[in-house]
Amino acid sequence: MATRADIEDMLARTALGDRAAFSRLYNATSAKLFGICLRVLNNRAEAEDALQDIYVRIWQKAGRYSAGTYSPMTWLITLARNLAIDKLRARRAPGQDIDEMHDLRDAAPGPEAAAVAKSEMGRIADCLDELEPERAQAIKGAYLDGETYRDLAARHDVPVNTMRTWLRRSLIKLKDCLSR
Amino acid sequence: MSDPTDPDRDDAALAAEFALHLLEPGERAAFEERLAVEPHLQALVRQWDADLAGLAAEVPPVAPPRRLKKAIDKRLHGPGIGPDGTPLWMRWRVGIGAALLALLVGLAVLFGDVLAPVPDGPVYRAELAAEDRALVVLASLDAATGVLAVDHVQGAPPPGRVLELWLIAEGAAAPVSLGVFADEGATRLTVPASLRPQFEGGTLAVSDEPPGGSPTGTPTGSVLATGAVTRL
Repeated sequence: MATRADIEDMLARTALGDRAAFSRLYNATSAKLFGICLRVLNNRAEAEDALQDIYVRIWQKAGRYSAGTYSPMTWLITLARNLAIDKLRARRAPGQDIDEMHDLRDAAPGPEAAAVAKSEMGRIADCLDELEPERAQAIKGAYLDGETYRDLAARHDVPVNTMRTWLRRSLIKLKDCLSR
Repeated sequence: MSDPTDPDRDDAALAAEFALHLLEPGERAAFEERLAVEPHLQALVRQWDADLAGLAAEVPPVAPPRRLKKAIDKRLHGPGIGPDGTPLWMRWRVGIGAALLALLVGLAVLFGDVLAPVPDGPVYRAELAAEDRALVVLASLDAATGVLAVDHVQGAPPPGRVLELWLIAEGAAAPVSLGVFADEGATRLTVPASLRPQFEGGTLAVSDEPPGGSPTGTPTGSVLATGAVTRL
């Protein structure tokens, strides 16, 4: 498995137009980023399109990655997730029934996979545990499923403003925990 | 909204909403404007991105189909070009393509710019040169598209170092990185919309940095060349 330093090196070389380094970077990271696209978009053809756009952007923007401000995987994951969310938002027609979008995503990982995931999640896993479960779920829904305030309000059957007020409170609580 | 008496916490929540893409388009645009000029907001967003990326750990990796990488290489480098370079015979085709393109561009210029895209924003240009001209770099930004073309005309970074381009906006406290560029020839960087207006009256600078660019977000090596930005 590629280490953080390996990925930083591949990104640095990609920034200088090194195609072989770009291919190594793709081999080391594309499965993770494709998993994220599938999770966010919940549609294979769209996830494939998104992954292409992501690596085109990585090639073009690798020079903007600066070591020390982001870890390389954080940078790649953030870029992939944001691009997939943009595609999701562009696709969604207003008023579309959100229940249709949740056929695959609600499958929870088994206990073993959940334990592994938790160890990789870092501090945010422990800090989410300090929140009420449905609020932690809402934050995950926004990050991994691209849910909007409107989606979240519909799911929890509260007005949008109420949803926003309590999600913002939860985010501040989360921040307090993460900064401890 | 959460606690109007505490703007710091409000900003922390706002930065999280921005990172999660929960803001409405108008709020998002307003936040981006502040983000461009408020380093503490940039730090908040970076921290949220890093913390939230932990959530991706529960997403299982899935190998993409093989054809995707080929499609990506084709989009980046044109048809028939492998991931590691261009076979010699291919250069013919590229050369003919370039000649045709030059012809088309020539025709477009003659017949009223029909084919050429018309930028709807200003174009900024800067020549960055060391005092002894040991290093010369040309940069030009199309503010409409954000494409920053960097042409490394002369000079090289010290061994084991790379060159990083910085924007020092008028009256700004600290330079902002525009990216690392290639040792020779042309590099295309993309400038985010929020930064483009700051080219007006700004200065560009080149520093030498460790591979991958400055680890701190501000220049750590020596400043090798600078140049004032002019609007064309």
